[in-house]
Amino acid sequence: MSFDAFAARALDTAASRGAGYADVRFENARSERIEVRNGVVATLSDASTCGYGIRALVDGAWGFAAASDTTSKGIDRTAARAVDIAKAGAAIARSRIGRVPPRAYTDSYATPVRRNPHEVPLGDRVSLLLAAEKALHVSPKITVGRAWIDLWRTHKIFYSSLGSRIEQTLQQSGSGIEAMALGEGEVQTRTFPGDIGLYKAGGWEVVEQAHLEENAPRIAEEAVALLSAPQCPSGVFDLILGGSQVSLQIHESCGHPAELDRVLGWEANFSGVSFLEISQLGKLKYGSDAVTIVIDNTLPEALATVGYDDEGTKSCQSDVIRNGMLAGYEMSNDTAQLIGRESNACVRAQNWEFVPMIRMCNLNLLPGDRPFENLFDDVKDGVYMESNRSWSIDDHRLNFQFGCEIAWEVKHGKRGRLLKNPTYAGMTPKFWNSCDAIADERSWVAWGTPNCGKGEPMQTGRTAQCASPARFRNVQVGVGYDG
Amino acid sequence: MDSAAREALARRVLERSGADQTEVLVWSGNDELTRFTHNLVHQNVAASDVSVRVRAVVGKRSGVAATNVLDDADLDDAVQRALRIAQLAPEDPALSDLPRGGKTEAPEGAYSAETADATPHLRAQMCDEIFKTAEERGYWCAGFVTTTTGGVTIRNSSGACASFDGTDSGVNVKMNAGDSTGFAEGYDNDVVRLDARAIGITSAEKASASAHPIAVDPGPWTVILEPAAFGELVTYLVEHFSAQAFDEGSSFMSDGLGKLYLGENVTIQDDYAHPLNPSMPFDYEGQPTQRVTLVENGVGKNVVTDSYWAAKLGRENTGHALPAPNAYGPQARHVVVSPGRKPLAELVADTKKGLLVSRFWYIRTVDQKRAIVTGMTRDGTFLIEDGAITSGVRNMRFNQSIIEALRHCEFGNALHRTGGYSYSLVAPAAKIDGFTFSSGTEF
Repeated sequence: MSFDAFAARALDTAASRGAGYADVRFENARSERIEVRNGVVATLSDASTCGYGIRALVDGAWGFAAASDTTSKGIDRTAARAVDIAKAGAAIARSRIGRVPPRAYTDSYATPVRRNPHEVPLGDRVSLLLAAEKALHVSPKITVGRAWIDLWRTHKIFYSSLGSRIEQTLQQSGSGIEAMALGEGEVQTRTFPGDIGLYKAGGWEVVEQAHLEENAPRIAEEAVALLSAPQCPSGVFDLILGGSQVSLQIHESCGHPAELDRVLGWEANFSGVSFLEISQLGKLKYGSDAVTIVIDNTLPEALATVGYDDEGTKSCQSDVIRNGMLAGYEMSNDTAQLIGRESNACVRAQNWEFVPMIRMCNLNLLPGDRPFENLFDDVKDGVYMESNRSWSIDDHRLNFQFGCEIAWEVKHGKRGRLLKNPTYAGMTPKFWNSCDAIADERSWVAWGTPNCGKGEPMQTGRTAQCASPARFRNVQVGVGYDG
Repeated sequence: MDSAAREALARRVLERSGADQTEVLVWSGNDELTRFTHNLVHQNVAASDVSVRVRAVVGKRSGVAATNVLDDADLDDAVQRALRIAQLAPEDPALSDLPRGGKTEAPEGAYSAETADATPHLRAQMCDEIFKTAEERGYWCAGFVTTTTGGVTIRNSSGACASFDGTDSGVNVKMNAGDSTGFAEGYDNDVVRLDARAIGITSAEKASASAHPIAVDPGPWTVILEPAAFGELVTYLVEHFSAQAFDEGSSFMSDGLGKLYLGENVTIQDDYAHPLNPSMPFDYEGQPTQRVTLVENGVGKNVVTDSYWAAKLGRENTGHALPAPNAYGPQARHVVVSPGRKPLAELVADTKKGLLVSRFWYIRTVDQKRAIVTGMTRDGTFLIEDGAITSGVRNMRFNQSIIEALRHCEFGNALHRTGGYSYSLVAPAAKIDGFTFSSGTEF
């Protein structure tokens, strides 16, 4: 039976059982991971998973059922189950929450890929990692070296009872290295690129962009040097953040609070709510005039780029913060209609097993107008930090504390000595309003985050925050260590 | 899919392999969850799947492939992919033979037919009881009711064959009352034993008691952590008990076993058969899981191993393997912290000035070796003065070494099962002196 016939059967069954609207998403996903650890290939796996998820809307209540059983009976059973679940919710509903999407599409999308990673011989992929990991062992103090590649390919087709048929083939790739140095009673870790590796939409070219082996000795030497570096001081300093740390800052203190489901309380019991309120749109000074953050789910190389989201809404661009002012939210169809807007296609499911929900997708801080090196100018007493090590923020997304792997003192415009265990803390709007300079497009990178957790059952999302390094004034630095 | 069908499927796959050694892992699962907010169900889901993972070993090389398409062609493809990967992989001299397994028995209470048969309508009834509790007080609630069924079979060419079927259920409620919130949870393998209304009432009472929270100064405080809060803190110690972290130097016990690391009243075990959290009696290599004392009276006693790390370190295989391939090493998956002597109420009554914490949020490691973590309080934090709760307190951020905390602690006498998206463990309430808060919030 073809996907079209499977879908027709699922949607017909849902309708005959009482669904006013239904959609079905078939997915076949393949994940390949190689990880080298201390010269040994610790992980070499190739996993595929295939199945479908059906959403049914009954009297304003949603039901979702997913299965891998693609027999006719399995399709019938799963569609009926989705409707039954919806009816169970409708039976105790105090109001209607689900809404029918406004339009249907027939279209297709494929990630632009310059080199198909699955055509790169496995032996070559392993050799690349073995060489990169070996290059980390610059000292006996490096007790753990790691190098990894992830390749993810997803083929999915979305059908709705409104008539949508959207076929997408997505390719995402990533790689990284990490060195852990062991000293007297402490460990220091350095990771590259960024803090988790470089993850983007695309093929083998993404792995090649990382230049793992070339950077491995420097990263490892930094890990060793950190063991004898002085502790990052505590106090209020001007702070320059490397691009990957700015990406993390966007993710935690802009991306999550601007998810409209959080603003509405839909994530209240787990990942939390938001300090933002609907009434603040166009009124809240979220950041300084230098700060403009946009959703762009059409940017070809960014990790979360797709043609259509998992509710069948076409990808688009929209503002979250424009020149410092709160301008919009990440939205689904249901939530957008509640505030009189249309969805901006920010809905994703981890895979076929999971219900689609609002996810941060590509949330980009637009670059500034000066070279990275110029961020150090007119900083009399500051700290430059790179590469996230620790991240924590409250359930309203206000009070945050982040730690980085490495830092350097900045004195009178010059980068100085190395500092270990750097941390900084702040309150979200105050922090973004202290941003007075952002590096230009030459250091703007589509940093991907492949492991964003949200929802119950918990789903892992793949997001991107394109960013370049940025400068923040008068930030609390050196929190969490007693010296 | 029942255990007999999983074992037959595993045999089908095993017979297809031409590798020197082969391991087949079959999972079957049915996960259902009804989630609510504003006294309304907004996400209501169910997912079922059966998947197969094949580990092929050729000499000292291994590869893993997985699929959830169970026809002959796709199973053949998975076996061939695993074999091809193994043939291309570099040798790992430390790779040990697949374990031969052994006799195992599921602990009592691990499976409940009532949980396996739970319907979305039962979950809706439980939600409705919580909604009514909220509505009676003019509050709104968010949370979930979940029921799950899972089966695991591991079969390998060394003769190991182990199967386990288990169920689980949970209720999680955050009650919202204007300027305050309250949290309560319950987990049990048998959904019949979960009292959704009582859990809703507990969360509502916490929300009510923490109304109009006041700000207190950051700094060192005596805290009493309820089991949900203490349990989440303890999860950040779990990786320290792995043979891999122990050997590589990142564990707080890497200086050697037999040394006093924590307070003499601290005993931590890994116990898959604990009555509050009965779980799988073998690991993901089919090796029987042992009950392991990790810390006894403050002294580091043992780390957990799998076949690889047992062979590498010359230690006994304790049966704590994660599914292959696994770069994280063996893990303690069923941690139990031994209780103390006093009820929670007495811990509060004995406190001159302190804070009672219901729940933490977003704990992250700041310093691995010293086990310094940071995080926030959430959903019910209270001021204790002269042995009594006197007010709700606005939420605060802490920075604290767990090791230091467990050198100055006292435990409640009741054990509770607590859980999150990546853990499930058994813990008492804990009273800790000198717990360091670094900043506050406005809520």
